[in-house]
Amino acid sequence: MALDYKDYYEVLGVARDASKDDTRRAYRKLAREYHPDLNQDSDAEERFKEVGEAYEVLSDPSKRDRYDRLGAQWRARQQASGAANFEDFFDQGFGPDVRVEFGDGAAFSEFFERLFGEGAVASARTGRLRGLDREAVLELSLEDAVAGGRRRLSLEDGRSLEVNIPAGVREGQRIRLAGQGGAGRDGGPPGDQYLQVRGDDLDVELAVAPWEAALGATVSVPTLTGTARVRVPAGSSSGRRLRLRGRGLAKQRGGHGDLHVIVRIMVPEHLSEQDRELFEKLADVSEFDPRQGQG
Amino acid sequence: MSARGRRSDTVQFAPAEHAEEQPVELAVIARQAGVRVSLVRHYASFGLFEPCSGTSDAPLFEPRCAGRLAKAERLRRDLGLNYAGAVLVCELLDRIRELEDRTDRDLEPRA
Repeated sequence: MALDYKDYYEVLGVARDASKDDTRRAYRKLAREYHPDLNQDSDAEERFKEVGEAYEVLSDPSKRDRYDRLGAQWRARQQASGAANFEDFFDQGFGPDVRVEFGDGAAFSEFFERLFGEGAVASARTGRLRGLDREAVLELSLEDAVAGGRRRLSLEDGRSLEVNIPAGVREGQRIRLAGQGGAGRDGGPPGDQYLQVRGDDLDVELAVAPWEAALGATVSVPTLTGTARVRVPAGSSSGRRLRLRGRGLAKQRGGHGDLHVIVRIMVPEHLSEQDRELFEKLADVSEFDPRQGQG
Repeated sequence: MSARGRRSDTVQFAPAEHAEEQPVELAVIARQAGVRVSLVRHYASFGLFEPCSGTSDAPLFEPRCAGRLAKAERLRRDLGLNYAGAVLVCELLDRIRELEDRTDRDLEPRA
């Protein structure tokens, strides 16, 4: 990747003669806006790093002086020769004079590391710290949730993970992928990636005809392990829950939960002549009032 | 963005662990968060987290406390907060997340 000049003053939105207080104020404001613990946007972490790097340089008088000298020479070179290549300029002229080696590893930009030496950040920060825990939603079918298995999923940061889904996970549960979160700081351990499980509801709706609900009927219901025959008791209204014991999701500690079948009474959208006559006759003779007692 | 330090695009790993894991000692939380034990105690005194089991002499904590602790410490360092402020922000973030989850669930179409 080509090395570009970074304008740290522009990143923080401050003037080149900004005081230390102005710089700190600008940094704090932008840090609050882009801190990855506060901002879930996909580019927030990158912006936050950029802001942190700019503040690291502009808040340290010796780094700022070195950076200002680089900037002045770079601009002078640009004005003299038009659109010069910054990497050539850095390697052939300014760079070697100002580079300082601080030690091992740093997570700042290549521009920063070329200018100040890898590890300058580590020396400036106050110690190692675990990285960000990340959250993602794992959508599962009921079958996957019951049986478990492997699933490949893409995360917001572009990584692709192959996940072993434990059998019996449930809606709302979280799966922790240890060490798969954000990178640690200054040698600190990485954070964890959490997957929040969202699966199909264990409630199954059962459509029944009005006469089935009134008279009772035995009907077929799809379950996780095939079709079951369910007895709908006579006098079942919409919303009645029928429990199929042991036909639900696998439990963590063995066995299975229950599957709830919810009765929903359906009527024909278009009545045949005979149906209409029968319904009208029923309406004439029936004393049933579903709104009785509702005032 | 610099390509340096980016991890491989594809990560394959051992069987996933459940969040519901065995409680761990203070020292484990400290190691996983990358901080000193004294700092864990300090945050605990501000109510960032509480023991889930164990005794008063040997309290045990949920493993996820390490992530919570690291988050508080990142916020404290990066935003210039004090300890109480960092703990308060963590609590408010938890509350926001809880409300967002609830809203998401309410908005999801149900079959």
